[in-house]
Amino acid sequence: MATASPAGEAKGGIRKWEKEKREEEEEEEEAAVGAWAGEEAASSPWALRAPRKKAQDEDPVEVKLELHPLRNRWALWFFKNDRSRAWQDNLHLVTKFDTVEDFWAMYSHIQLASKLSSGCDYALFKDGIEPMWEDPRNKRGGRWLVSLAKQQRHSELDRLWLETLLCLIGESFEEHSREVCGAVVNIRTKGDKIAVWTREAENQAGVLHIGRVYKERLGLSTKTVIGYQAHADTATKSNSLAKNKFVV
Amino acid sequence: MSSSAGSGHQPSQSRAIPTRTVPISDAAQLPHDYCTTPGGTLFSTTPGGTRIIYDRKFLLDRRNSPMAQTPPCHLPNIPGVTSPGTLIEDSKVEVNNLNNLNNHDRKHAIGDDAQFEMDI
Repeated sequence: MATASPAGEAKGGIRKWEKEKREEEEEEEEAAVGAWAGEEAASSPWALRAPRKKAQDEDPVEVKLELHPLRNRWALWFFKNDRSRAWQDNLHLVTKFDTVEDFWAMYSHIQLASKLSSGCDYALFKDGIEPMWEDPRNKRGGRWLVSLAKQQRHSELDRLWLETLLCLIGESFEEHSREVCGAVVNIRTKGDKIAVWTREAENQAGVLHIGRVYKERLGLSTKTVIGYQAHADTATKSNSLAKNKFVV
Repeated sequence: MSSSAGSGHQPSQSRAIPTRTVPISDAAQLPHDYCTTPGGTLFSTTPGGTRIIYDRKFLLDRRNSPMAQTPPCHLPNIPGVTSPGTLIEDSKVEVNNLNNLNNHDRKHAIGDDAQFEMDI
């Protein structure tokens, strides 16, 4: 996906949205929609809302189905490596979403992971959990880590990251989904990494279930082994030396 | 079901929880008051609250819905992430920009005002 044009549209979209919100305060909703009739309205959120409202009287089932709520609200973070600034100052909240459709809207309007510069990260976490070890819901936890070879950035990275996102928002780990805190993709010259973070490294049943399902969803061969490391261990050692608490 | 004891009080009767099966071939047919997982498990309310599980295929199918095409509102401008930007090393962008003043207006129109303030 090229960023240039969707991102350009995004900006226009925001402006329209803001303008329409102001109008909403003053006028009837339908009048506001009327003001945006025509070519521009086709891509405006209100253009979709108007027919929906109308249709509601006729077919309430179909109308409400246009948005599919997620179990959790999620926050997407972007981290940019700038050594002149503190780590936390490099962390930017991109957006939050809580429906399937809003997830795709977000995904379609941001850069693909493989196109980010080295040193950057994306992180998707449940709303309220910060994408760092220090967060109370992360500090006793750990991560399933998938390390990629350099050449996999072009062939695999975006697919694996999207699959990771779908596992999270779709709550793919049955009752253990509540153990999941989020996921991170690190773009690094020496090899990219994707990890799913869970909240309790000692919860063996939960961690192993998540690991098995995750590995299968990524389509990794049975020969490939992925490891789970407790954040407490990772924090005290350099990443490559952190020992695996579990493997699948 | 009857009470063999035959006394005056009626034992409570056990009855199956009423259910109905709704064959669904498309997401549009789903009832609105269910949490839905076409192709997967259909959950309604569970003791811990409502669980919503979506399988992979359903999520991917929703990618093409009109609502999914609408740009998110209030997306912050992060060059190279939410807006075009040669990015990501600021110094390079700025140097590049100073050397290409002809491009300035065009870039200004599509990009982030703040990023180019240094040119002025």
